Amino acid sequence: MASSILAPPDADTARTDRGVTQAKIDQRHRLFNRICFGVLIAFALLWLVPLAWAVDTALKPNAETTRASWLIDDPTFAAFGRVLSDMPILNWFGASLITSTLTAVGTVITASLAAFALSRMRFRYRNVVFWAILAGIMIPGQVLIVPQFREMDALGLLNTYWAVSLPQIPTAVAIFIFKQFFDGLPRDLEEAARIDGAGWFRIYRRVVMPLARPAVAAVAIFTFVTSWNELLWPLLVLTNPDLMTMPVGLATVQGAFGIRYADTMASAVLGAIPLVAVFLLFQRHIVEGIAGTGLKG
Amino acid sequence: MSTETVTPPARPAPPPSTPTPPAPGQGRPAAAFLLPFAILYLAFIAGPAVYGLIMSFFDASLVRPGLGSFAGFGNYAEALQDPDFWSSLWHTLWFTILTTPPLIVLAFVFALLADRVGRGRWFFRLAFFAPFILPSAVIALIWIFMYTPELGLIEAGLNTVGLSSPAWLGDPAWAMPSLAITTIWWTLGFNFILYLAGLQEIPRELYEASAIDGAGPWQQIRRITIPMLGRTTTLVAVLQVIASLKVFDQMYLITNGGPDFATRSVLQYVYDQGFTNFRLGYAAAISMLFFLVVLAVSAVWFSIVRRQEKEV
Amino acid sequence: MDVPSTRRTGLSRRGVLRGLAAAVGAGALAGCSSDVLSGLTTSRETAGSLDYWNLFGGGDGTRMQQMLDTYRRDHPEVALSATTLAWGNPYYTKLSLATVGDKPPDVAIAHLTRMKNMVEAGLLQELDPAALARHGLGTDQFTPRTWEAGLVDGRAYSIPLDTHPFVMFYNTDVCEKAGLLGDDGNLTPLDSPEAFTDAMRRAKQVTGAYGGVVASISETSTPWRMFQSLYSQLGGQVIADQGREVVLDDAKATEVLTFLRSLTADGLFPATADYQGSIAQFAEGQAGFYFQGEWEISTFQTAKMPFSMTLFPHLYREGPYAVQADSHTFVLPRHPDDSPERLDRALEFVASMLNQSKTWAEGGHVPSYRPFLETPEFRDLKPQSNYAAAAEAAAYDAEGWYSGSGSSFEIVTGSSIGAVITGQSTPAAALARMRSALSDLARTPSPI
Repeated sequence: MASSILAPPDADTARTDRGVTQAKIDQRHRLFNRICFGVLIAFALLWLVPLAWAVDTALKPNAETTRASWLIDDPTFAAFGRVLSDMPILNWFGASLITSTLTAVGTVITASLAAFALSRMRFRYRNVVFWAILAGIMIPGQVLIVPQFREMDALGLLNTYWAVSLPQIPTAVAIFIFKQFFDGLPRDLEEAARIDGAGWFRIYRRVVMPLARPAVAAVAIFTFVTSWNELLWPLLVLTNPDLMTMPVGLATVQGAFGIRYADTMASAVLGAIPLVAVFLLFQRHIVEGIAGTGLKG
Repeated sequence: MSTETVTPPARPAPPPSTPTPPAPGQGRPAAAFLLPFAILYLAFIAGPAVYGLIMSFFDASLVRPGLGSFAGFGNYAEALQDPDFWSSLWHTLWFTILTTPPLIVLAFVFALLADRVGRGRWFFRLAFFAPFILPSAVIALIWIFMYTPELGLIEAGLNTVGLSSPAWLGDPAWAMPSLAITTIWWTLGFNFILYLAGLQEIPRELYEASAIDGAGPWQQIRRITIPMLGRTTTLVAVLQVIASLKVFDQMYLITNGGPDFATRSVLQYVYDQGFTNFRLGYAAAISMLFFLVVLAVSAVWFSIVRRQEKEV
Repeated sequence: MDVPSTRRTGLSRRGVLRGLAAAVGAGALAGCSSDVLSGLTTSRETAGSLDYWNLFGGGDGTRMQQMLDTYRRDHPEVALSATTLAWGNPYYTKLSLATVGDKPPDVAIAHLTRMKNMVEAGLLQELDPAALARHGLGTDQFTPRTWEAGLVDGRAYSIPLDTHPFVMFYNTDVCEKAGLLGDDGNLTPLDSPEAFTDAMRRAKQVTGAYGGVVASISETSTPWRMFQSLYSQLGGQVIADQGREVVLDDAKATEVLTFLRSLTADGLFPATADYQGSIAQFAEGQAGFYFQGEWEISTFQTAKMPFSMTLFPHLYREGPYAVQADSHTFVLPRHPDDSPERLDRALEFVASMLNQSKTWAEGGHVPSYRPFLETPEFRDLKPQSNYAAAAEAAAYDAEGWYSGSGSSFEIVTGSSIGAVITGQSTPAAALARMRSALSDLARTPSPI
C-alpha cells in the first residue's frame, strides 16, 4: 500500500520534450482545480439552502408561508416576537447555558487533573487505571440511561441541572486529549518550579495549565457544544417546561401556534442562534477539537 | 513516557513506609488528582453499568420502587424472540447502511475538492460544518417543514423540474431514506473536518514531485491522496458506524419511530419500553444486548487498525 | 494536536467578542424568569402558581387558548403556566416521568383510555367527592357514561371534559343529488350493511370517483376506529381481563373485515388513502362520505364546503348502538405538595374550563358537562348535536397496560385492519397476525 505512493506515473509520459508536457500538465491541473471549485461552490450553496429557507420563512407573515417562494412580499420580525412571548425560550437558553457550562467546567477540571496524574506521576496500577478509563470509552452513554435515571431519581436530582450535567462529565476522550497535550509539553519549566519548592498542585495550576490553554479551549468548547446539543438524557430528566434545555424544550413543547410555519421556523432560528454565535467565535477551537480527537483517535 | 521522577530536593523525603521499589511514593498525590474524575466515573458510569446489568435480570418497573421480581434470563429470552426488538435492530442497521457510505464518500470528495481549491476554505467549512453544530431539535423543525407535502421546499423543487414527490415522511418505505438525507446534510461536516485535517497532513512535496513526473489530477488522487488517507478513512468509517448505531434524535423528533414503527431505532425501543411502557428491566436487557453489538463493532475496528499499523 | 501560536491582534479582537458574548449571556439569564436558577436546587416555590399540561394542537389548541385567556382574566391572582406537548405516547411518557420525578403539573389532560393505566401505576391523585362537590363537579354534573367509564374500583381520578366519537361526515350536495337526504334535509339513516353499500354506490355515481373515504395507510388509529365501531355493534371484544386475555371473535371480526374490504374491492372507497389524502378527497368532492373523529369539523368549515355530520351508522342491528370513542379528561398527577390550597386552585381551574364547554364544543367535541350539554344552546349547535348521542354509546378501547388511544394496541390492530382495507392482506391472515401480536402483549406481565 504505502509503496505505491511514490510509484512513478504512467511510463508512457514522454520525458524527451519535458517542457511542453509540463505546461500541458499544469494546464490540466488548473482546469481541474477550476472544475473542483465550481462543483464545490454548487454543493456548498445547496448545503446552505435549508438554513436559508428557515430564515426566509421565519421572516414571512404566516399567510405567506403556504407558498413555496423565496420572495417575501411583506417581511416582518413578528414571528420572532410571537415565539418569544409564547414559549419560555429564554428560560431554555438559560438552562442550556447553565448545564453546558457546568459540564464543560467539570470536564476540564476533572479530566485535566486525571490526565496530569497519568502523564506526570508514577504510581502503582497506573496501567490499570489507564485501561479502566479506556474501557469507559467503549460504553456508550446511551446504554446507561435506564440505570442512570433510577439513580437520579434515588438521589432526588430529577429536574435539576445536576442530573443533566454530572453523568456527562466523566468522558475518557477529554482525558486522552489532555494527556496527549501534557505528554508533549517540555519539562524544564516544571523542573524549575520543583526546585523552587512547588508541590504537584502548584505545578499543575501555575505551570502546566497555563501552557495547556489550547487543549483547555478545545475540550471546553467541544464539551460545551456537545452538551448543549444533547437530547436523549435531558429529555428524560428534565420534565418541567421552565427548566428544559433548548433542544428538549423545542422538541417537547408545542407552541400554541399549531402549524404556523413562520413561527415554527422562527423558533428554529432562535434555537440555532446561540450555537451559530459559538461557532463563529470559536470555529478554530471546535475544528481543532474534532481534528485532534479524530486523528489521534 | 514520563521519566522525570526525581524528587525535588527542597521537599522532605517521603517517609520510608513503603519499601516496594516500583512505587516511588507518588501514589498519594496521584490518587488525589484522579479522585474527582474517579468519583464521577464510578458514580455515573461504572456504577450504573453494574446496576443496569443487575436490573436486566429483574422485572423492574418505572413506577414501582426497587428491582421487582427476579426474572433470570427471562428478559433476554424475551428480547431475542421479540420481533419488535429485531425490527428496531434492523432499522438501526438500515439507517447505518443508508448513511455511512454517502457520509464517507461525500465528505471525502468535498474535503478533497476544498483542499485542492485552497481558496475560500472558511466558506466551505461554514457551509458544510454549520449544520453539524446545531441541535437535532432545530434540524428536525427545519426538515419536517422541508418534507411537508404540498408546502415543503423539496416537493416544490421537484415539481418545478417536473418530478413528482413521494410522501417523504408518511410512506414507510420512504421515511428512513428521508431521515438518512437529513442526517447526511446534518452530520457531513464532522467527517469533512476530519478529512480536511487528514489531507493537510499529506506533505505537499508528494504532489509536487508527482506533478513533475507528469501525474494528472486523477492519478494524484488515486495514487497519493486515497492511500495516504487510509487511516483517516478507517477512523471516519468506525466513528460513523458507531454514531449511526446510536441514532435516536432524528427518529424521535422527525417521525417518532413511525410510520407504523418503520423507523424505530434500538435506542428508541429502549426508550419506549423503559419509559413509555414502564418496563425498566426489559429496557435494561435490550440496552445490554445493544451494548454487545457496539462492542463487536469496536472490536472489528481495533483489529483493522492493528492490521493497518502493521502494514504501514 | 498542534499548538497554534496565539496572535496578539486576533486574541484581543476575540477577547472583545467574548466579553460581548458573556454580557449577552448574562443579560439573557437575568432576563428569563428566576425559575431557571431553581434548576440548581431541588426545591421549587409553587405557591400561587398553577401548571397545566395539555396535548391540543390545531383548532383544539386555539380554542383551549381562548379558554385559558378567560381563566386568566377571571383569576389574575393565579400565575397560570400552560404547556402544550406533542400528543400520543411522548405526552404520556413525559407526564409519567414528571410525576415519577416529583415535578408534575398541577392539572393535566389525559385520555380516558390512558388515564386508567396511570391510576394503576399510582401516578394520579384520587379525587375526593367532597372536594369535587365543593367546586360544582359532582357526579350528577356529568354524562353517566363518561363519568362511570372513568372510575377505577368505584373511585374518581379524572374529570371528563368531552367525548370524541368516530363520526360520519357527508357532503350535503352529493347526498342530495344521490337522493339520500330526507325531507328535513338530513341523511336518511343507514341501518344495514346493504343500505350502507347502496348509499355509497349512489354517492359514487354522483361524485364519479368514490362513495366514501377512510384513511387506511400511514395511519393505524383510523382503521382501528372504523373496525371497533362495527365490531362493537356485533358485541365483539378484542381483549379482556385487564389485557391478559385475547378474546377476538373470529366470526364477528371476519364479518366486519370482509365488509370493509368489500367497500374498497368494489371501488366504493379508495383502497389507499392516508390521513391528509382522505381529508383532501372529501374536501374536493371526490367522495360523498368521510369517516373520522369529529375533530376534523374545523377543517371542513375552513374549506367552506357543503357538509354535515351525523352518528356513525348503526349497521348491525343485532346489538345496541355502539361507536368507537375516547374522552379527554382532567387529571391531577400525584404531587409532593398535597395542601388543600393547591387542590382547590386546581379544581377551580377545571371548573372554569368546564364552564366554557361551549367554546370547546364548537371544535366538534361532545361536552360531558351536563349544565351545558342539556341547554337549548347546545341543542341548537349544529351539526354537533346530531351526534351527541354517541357519548352514551361510546365503545372505549378495552383496558390493558398496552391499550388506549395511540397505544401499541391500536398500532397492532390498526395496521392489520388497514392491510385488509387496502387489500394487501386477507381477513384471515390479518386476524392471525393481530391475534399473535396481541397474544405477545397479553403474555407480557404488566409492568404497572
